[in-house]
Amino acid sequence: MIRRLLDAVTGRLSPRTVQNLRSEFDTSPLTKVGVGILVVVLVTAVFAPLLAPWNPEAQNLDRSQQPPLGFTRAENQTTQETVDGEVQLIQETVQVNATVAHPLGTDGLGRDMLSRVVYGARTSLVVGVLGTLLAMLVGVPVGLVAGYYKGRVDDALMRVADVSLAFPSLVLAIALVGLFGQAAVEVPDPLVTTGLAAAIRGVTSLPGGLAYPTGMPATFTLPGTVILVVGIVNWVWFARVARGEALGVRDEEYVKAARSLGGPDRFIIRRHVFPNSITPVLVLATIQIAAIVLLESALSFLGFSGTTLSWGFDIAQGRQYQTTSWWIAAMPGLAIVLTVIGINLVGDWLRDALDPGIEGEGGGV
Amino acid sequence: MRDLLRVEGLSTRFFTGEGQVNAVESVDFTVRQGEILGIVGESGSGKSVTALSLLDLVESPGEVTAGQLWLRDADLADEFPGAADGAFVDLRELPERVRRSLRGPTFSMIFQDPMSSFNPSLTVGEQIAEAVEVQRRADANPRSTRSRTEGYGLGSYVVDGLLPNRDYTGEESHDRAVELLERVGIPDPEKRVDEYPHEFSGGMLQRAMIAQALAGEPDLLVADEPTTALDVTIQAQILELLRDIQADREMSILLITHDLGVIARMCDRVAVMYAGQIVERGTLEDVFDDPVHPYTEGLIGSIPDLDDPAPRLQPIEGNVPSLLDDEMPRGCYFADRCPKAMAACLEPQAERPVGGKEHAARCVLVDSDYDERDALSDGPEHDAVADGRGDDV
Amino acid sequence: MGSFGRFLLKRSLQGVVVILGVISVLFVLRYVTPGSPVDFIAPLDASDATRRRIAESLGLNQPLYVQYGDYIVSLLQGEMGYSYRSRTAVAPRVFAKLPATLELAVAATVVAVILSIPLGVISATRRHTGPDYAATVFSFLGISTPNFWLGVMLVILFAVQFGAFPTSGRPVGLLDALGHLVVIAGPERGWALPLNVGSFVAAMQNWLLHVTLPAITLGTYFTALITRLTRSGMLDELGRGYVQAARAKGLPTTLVRYRHALRNTLIPVITVVGLQLGTLIGGAVITEAVFDWPGLGSLIIDAINNRDWPLIQGSLVVIGAGFVVVNVVVDALYVRLNPRVLE
Repeated sequence: MIRRLLDAVTGRLSPRTVQNLRSEFDTSPLTKVGVGILVVVLVTAVFAPLLAPWNPEAQNLDRSQQPPLGFTRAENQTTQETVDGEVQLIQETVQVNATVAHPLGTDGLGRDMLSRVVYGARTSLVVGVLGTLLAMLVGVPVGLVAGYYKGRVDDALMRVADVSLAFPSLVLAIALVGLFGQAAVEVPDPLVTTGLAAAIRGVTSLPGGLAYPTGMPATFTLPGTVILVVGIVNWVWFARVARGEALGVRDEEYVKAARSLGGPDRFIIRRHVFPNSITPVLVLATIQIAAIVLLESALSFLGFSGTTLSWGFDIAQGRQYQTTSWWIAAMPGLAIVLTVIGINLVGDWLRDALDPGIEGEGGGV
Repeated sequence: MRDLLRVEGLSTRFFTGEGQVNAVESVDFTVRQGEILGIVGESGSGKSVTALSLLDLVESPGEVTAGQLWLRDADLADEFPGAADGAFVDLRELPERVRRSLRGPTFSMIFQDPMSSFNPSLTVGEQIAEAVEVQRRADANPRSTRSRTEGYGLGSYVVDGLLPNRDYTGEESHDRAVELLERVGIPDPEKRVDEYPHEFSGGMLQRAMIAQALAGEPDLLVADEPTTALDVTIQAQILELLRDIQADREMSILLITHDLGVIARMCDRVAVMYAGQIVERGTLEDVFDDPVHPYTEGLIGSIPDLDDPAPRLQPIEGNVPSLLDDEMPRGCYFADRCPKAMAACLEPQAERPVGGKEHAARCVLVDSDYDERDALSDGPEHDAVADGRGDDV
Repeated sequence: MGSFGRFLLKRSLQGVVVILGVISVLFVLRYVTPGSPVDFIAPLDASDATRRRIAESLGLNQPLYVQYGDYIVSLLQGEMGYSYRSRTAVAPRVFAKLPATLELAVAATVVAVILSIPLGVISATRRHTGPDYAATVFSFLGISTPNFWLGVMLVILFAVQFGAFPTSGRPVGLLDALGHLVVIAGPERGWALPLNVGSFVAAMQNWLLHVTLPAITLGTYFTALITRLTRSGMLDELGRGYVQAARAKGLPTTLVRYRHALRNTLIPVITVVGLQLGTLIGGAVITEAVFDWPGLGSLIIDAINNRDWPLIQGSLVVIGAGFVVVNVVVDALYVRLNPRVLE
């Protein structure tokens, strides 16, 4: 299935397109930055159990609210002391220092922020990619059919699209998740269940001579409802783009010719109309992944996610500590910004390389 | 006839990522009052850039790098004695503000594609009235440049959205726009003045562009391929109109085209451009009846002759060179395509007078005859430095 | 003008159809979501009879199409039913929250438009200069930053660390603040001073202090987006033939830029901004959550958490309808700027 999809995408790109992509990549340093960021995020997400220094859910109240490296936190402590036989309460300000063991600090329950950020990448990317795929699988066929047949089918689709666009996607997503519940699936993490993570982690150690904890979460929480909902919320965009392409192609001579030869519509759509929509759909898909990553983090922030290992969820946690520990909200947010920047840069790359309408600036006689 | 504009040593370069492009190189010509001067050449020969250079419309990464543009204007010569030579003033020495103010009353320009030269979201009449209005405001208050933009700035774009017309131009300018449309032969001008460009046909829109160019009553109208985008029958009408207006108003026209037929029909004198240089110039008769430069010969040879059914059509082989500074040959730029190239052609050629009159050419053949023994060994194409790079500068 | 009027009428009718669609979708959604309203209202130990009575009082025993018809009729009368939880009428509650959300959205939009269009124009006309790079970096960061995180960070920095702004809340509404201007003096206060300038200034100051961070939070994405669109659109337009022609006929740069190029730049910008209005409203919902801003967003989140259907339905209908209306206005503006589409 995935194999076929990949072939459909890359195999249908013309050599010129591939060359455009390559030359655009070679000349634009920002594209390299974007691809680099995405590769880092992707590797982080896949190998989270190997990369995260701590179990992201392991609490340690003795080490709560530790600042990240390079910062300190002042804490007011009240201690009891007996001076001349009298018990006195002494107020003093203690400096809490950063430790190498928790380079990004810890949250209010003493969980390691770096590990939580690493695991958060998984949630974001899984929801972003699966949500986009779902939206694409629903939207593209509907759009192609509507654009190909035009007329009533098309009118109906456009009205459905209008209605669906009348709800802000975040509001619609909140409503759907809120009403259908936050079902989540616990997916076993093969890196952990096979013992691979424990074996690899056993032979390495943390800086500062600390032992590398080996107990990593054996399952990964897949926020099922959220994926479904972000897919449902965003399918319209794909339908619109696919429809536009189909409308453009349906009156081309070669499509007319195929129709006059009596080719079945299903075949014509798949063979002639669909290939034309691949490029714009691909560009849209990149943009949509960024949008869905943002949407997921917003849902988690508002408490509608179904998982407690998510960047948005941690930002919401951080809000409760906003007067004392800024890093709890700051770190996951930076991770989101970085990821979205990466995706947007790659999106710009695809757009510049694939969309002929945008090229061709510069002076001329 | 008196000289209106003397162009001396004009050079315009584009500084692109791929290198320096010499679009116009050391160009000399003179435009006289009340004449039609033609500049002819293939696309990419630098004729349009020459026109834009006159109006100071060359934009970054392009730049006029050398030369003098002597305009006859006694008032300006008084005002800027430093830039003056008698009644002439060198435009390149004038402040930008002054040069801009010459666009309209001194120079005006019409372009090849009328459809893209009108703003699609303003009515045609509004755009003509605007040109009138700028002039009116400038005349009323020649010292203040502010008055020309009064009532219009970044802030008013919101208001403009709500009241798309009539916010800048006044009633008088609007009426003048109707007159101008009538002058260029647009039927029912009162109605058409309020129509948008997409409601006009190509020919009608080109007429409207001429009307717009006349708004400032220019001394010199630069017409850059004014008929190329039009049907043949319409072409004749537009040329007729230009000629009519020129005779009527005693203005000069600089007619730029790749079409020798148009030149033959319209011009008093003609200059032939190749690879950024003027390779031959003179009166129409000089150049057409007695061409010296093989490029001119080739151009004239490529006009189909209706009276002579024998196939005389001989297109010039090869392509216009890239104009990239690094790739230009040291000698004559045409040598690699020239059927009569000789060893001497590998040296730079200066312009030489032909027969002492106005006729001049940039070619060794002015002073000597073609001698096959001196021919460059492998004939044309021997020195294909830039193998047909695009002509898109 | 006639064609514009016809366009407006047609577009409005389409809008009505979409609003009807919104209402219908919400109505259907209510019946496919798990759980019966009775469960939320009836006490846990309620007898079947009691449950039936509750269902009857809610009209749930009627056939679906009757319920649908009743709902439409009551909507037309401006009623939205009663909240399951608080048993109060929904419509007044929704409309009471509306000003807070509108204030926020309008403040953000105004800030965005005022900042972004000049920023985009400067960026395009001074290409490859410091201001251009700054604007480009800003707009790229702006479209990549989740607004709720930006809000939290702004609170931490400007409210907690510097104490320059309050962290949350909306003690006074804009309309209340403006109200101080038109307080008519009564017998108790004396007739001398019809305008209460002092308290107006104080209230406005209070409102501004509270609205600043939320408006920045909500407006940053739009500022960035419009800056980006304006810049690239302006670059496209400045390279077009009509700009050269306008310069050739002697128009001053200001006129060429604003009257000609910017006008055509704004046409696609308006379309995109129209499409992004949903993002604005969604952004308002989450911004309200960050700043405890008592608007529709907070109301919806509460309602969803309580599964208070009439309240959910009411507020979503208002949001959907508002969105459709604003879109019709945007389309009208688009047509005003771009006469070609009327053909």
